[in-house]
Amino acid sequence: MSGKVPLQILLYGVVCLAILLFPLVVNDAFLLNKFSRYLVFGMLAIALSLSWGYAGILNLGQAMTFGLGSYCMAMYLKLKTVPIHTGSDGLPDFMVWNNLTELPWVWAPFHSTAFALLAGILVPALFAGLLGWFMFGGRVTGVYAAIITLAAMVVVNLIIVDQQGYTGGFNGITDLAQFDMFGFEFDAYSASTYYLVAICLTVALFVALAVTRSKTGLILQAVRDREERVRFFGYDVALYTTFVFSVSAGIAGLAGMLYTIVMEFASPTFLGVPLSLSIVIWVAVGGRRSLLGAMLGALLVTGVQGALSESEAFLETWTLVMGGLFVLIVLLLPQGLAGAFQSLSARLQPAGKVGTDKKTSPDKKTESRDSGKTAHAGETA
Amino acid sequence: MSATHDRLLALKGATVSFHGFVAVDHLDLEVGAGELRCLIGPNGAGKTTTLDLICGKSRINSGEIVFKGKPIHALNEFQIARAGIGRKFQVPSVFRELTVRENLAIGGSRDPRVLSNLFKFGTSADRQRLEEIAVLVGLRDEMATQAAFLSHGQTQWLEIALILAQDPALILMDEPTAGMTAHETNKTAALFNHLKGRRTLIVVEHDMGFVRDIAETISVMHQGKLLAQGTADEVSSDARVREAYLGSGGIGHA
Repeated sequence: MSGKVPLQILLYGVVCLAILLFPLVVNDAFLLNKFSRYLVFGMLAIALSLSWGYAGILNLGQAMTFGLGSYCMAMYLKLKTVPIHTGSDGLPDFMVWNNLTELPWVWAPFHSTAFALLAGILVPALFAGLLGWFMFGGRVTGVYAAIITLAAMVVVNLIIVDQQGYTGGFNGITDLAQFDMFGFEFDAYSASTYYLVAICLTVALFVALAVTRSKTGLILQAVRDREERVRFFGYDVALYTTFVFSVSAGIAGLAGMLYTIVMEFASPTFLGVPLSLSIVIWVAVGGRRSLLGAMLGALLVTGVQGALSESEAFLETWTLVMGGLFVLIVLLLPQGLAGAFQSLSARLQPAGKVGTDKKTSPDKKTESRDSGKTAHAGETA
Repeated sequence: MSATHDRLLALKGATVSFHGFVAVDHLDLEVGAGELRCLIGPNGAGKTTTLDLICGKSRINSGEIVFKGKPIHALNEFQIARAGIGRKFQVPSVFRELTVRENLAIGGSRDPRVLSNLFKFGTSADRQRLEEIAVLVGLRDEMATQAAFLSHGQTQWLEIALILAQDPALILMDEPTAGMTAHETNKTAALFNHLKGRRTLIVVEHDMGFVRDIAETISVMHQGKLLAQGTADEVSSDARVREAYLGSGGIGHA
C-alpha cells in the first residue's frame, strides 16, 4: 500500500495548499467572496461524491442538509444582531412582523455559539440518519431512494416557506450579524472568510478521504457493487449506508453554515431543487468516484458558469453553452473528468509496466485499477 | 449419522412454498460438525432453496432450522452470517469492481462494526492470513487484479476464498464447479479434500464424478423431500434414487 498512499494524499494536499494560498495572488474582496462561494460548492460536491460515488446512494436532496446547516448559522447570527425593529427581548424583526410575542423554543438554544456550530453539523447528520435508517432499513435502493431524498427536501422546503413566523418564510433570514470567533472577524468580503472556508474544505476533504480509504469505505464500495452479497458476510448493510449518508449530510451542513457567512443570509432557495440537481451535475462532470475530482468539478462548473454569465459575448446563450458541455461530458466521459484523467495517465505509463507490475509493485496496479474500473464501468453503465 | 460428529445444523420439517409451489417439503436434515455433506438431486429438487433457507435468503413457512443448538430461521441474513454460516452462490458473486485483495479483505468480516472498521486502513490488517488463503486457491499472483478481469474458474475460486476469509463454522457451496474445466474441477476437489474435517461443508453439486471424489455422506433430494442418504455407492444403487433421476424427476423443472 505504501507506494500509493503518499501519492494520493500528496495530490490532495497540493490542491488544498493551492486553494489556501490563493489570496496571496488575488486580493480583490469581490473575487474572494465569489471564490469562497465556489469553495462551499466544492464541499457540497465532496459530500455527494461520498454517498453517490462510493456508496452508490444518489442523493437528489443533498441541498436539504445544506439548507439545514445554513439555517442553523442564520438563526445564530440573527440572534446576535441588535435588531432595528424589536419586540420584547430583542425579538428578530421578521417575528415581530408575524406577530410573534416571544422567541420560539427552537430558537432559544441558538444564543449559544457552541450549540449553533454543533447543530449546523449534527442536525443535518441526524436528519439524514433518520431518513437513511427508514430507507435503507427498509431496503429501499437505487432510483427509489433518490426519489425519496428529493421528496424529503421538497417537504422541508415547503415547511420552511410555510412557517413564516419561525423561519422568515419565503424571504429567508436576512440582516445578519457578522460571524466572529477567537477574536477573528469574518466579513463576507475578506480574506479571513476565504481562509475559513478553505480550511473547512480541506478538513472535509481529508475526513472524507479517510472514510473512503478505511475498511468501512471498502465495504461501502462493495455495497455499491453488490449489496446483497455483503450481507452474507455478516455486515449490517443498512448501518453502513446510513452512516455514510449521515457523514455526507454533516459535511453538507458545514458547507451550509459557511454559505450563510459568505452570502450574509439564508433562504429557502438553498434547499431548492435547482441547487440540488446542480450538485449532481458538478459531481458527474468532475467524476463521482473521486472526491477531489468531484470538488474540482464543482469549482470548474460554477467558475465557468460565473465567467460565461458575466461575459458580454455569452450573455444570452451561456445556459445553452453549459447545457451542451454537460451533455458532451456525460456522453463521452461517463466517469467524469477525474475518470478521464485516470485512464489517460494509465495509458501514458510505459507499456512495460503492465507486464512487470504483478510481482514487482502490486501497489501500482491498485492505482491503475481505477482506470480499468472506469473503462469497465463505462461499458456496463 | 456417525457418532464422531456433533450435530451442527438441523432442519426439522422445513417447508417453503412459492406461489403455491412447494419447493422444500417437510425436510429433515442433520449435518454434523466437520462433515462434508453433498446434496444432490434432479433439477427442481429444492437443493438451492434448501441452502437459501439455511443462510436466510428465503424464509421457511413452517418448521425449524437449528444451528449450534439455536434456532436461526428468524434471524436476518447478516445475523445468520455472524452466527457462523457462509454461502457461496451458484452464479459466482464477487465484487467485480474491486481487486482480489480488496475482495478478500471484505470476506474477512470477523469484525463487522462500522465504527471500528472506520479506523482500519488499507487491507493490511489481516494481510498474512488473506495471503495464505490466496495461495490456497491459487490466486496469489492475482492479488492486485480487478475481479472483473478474472476467468470464470478464478472467479469461482475467489468466491470460495472469500468464504474461507470469512471463516464460518458452516460453509454452504452451491455448484462450486459449475463452468469449470476438468483440470479446474480436479483442483477444486483437491481443495475440498483439504478442507474436509477442518470445516463443515454442505455442497450442492451436479457433477457426480466430483461428488464421488469428495463426499463422505450424500443426501439425495427429490421434489423438496429427502429421498435417500448414504455413501456414494449406497446412494447410486438405491432404487428410488435411480427412479428419481431416470423417471419423471429429470424433467421436473421448477
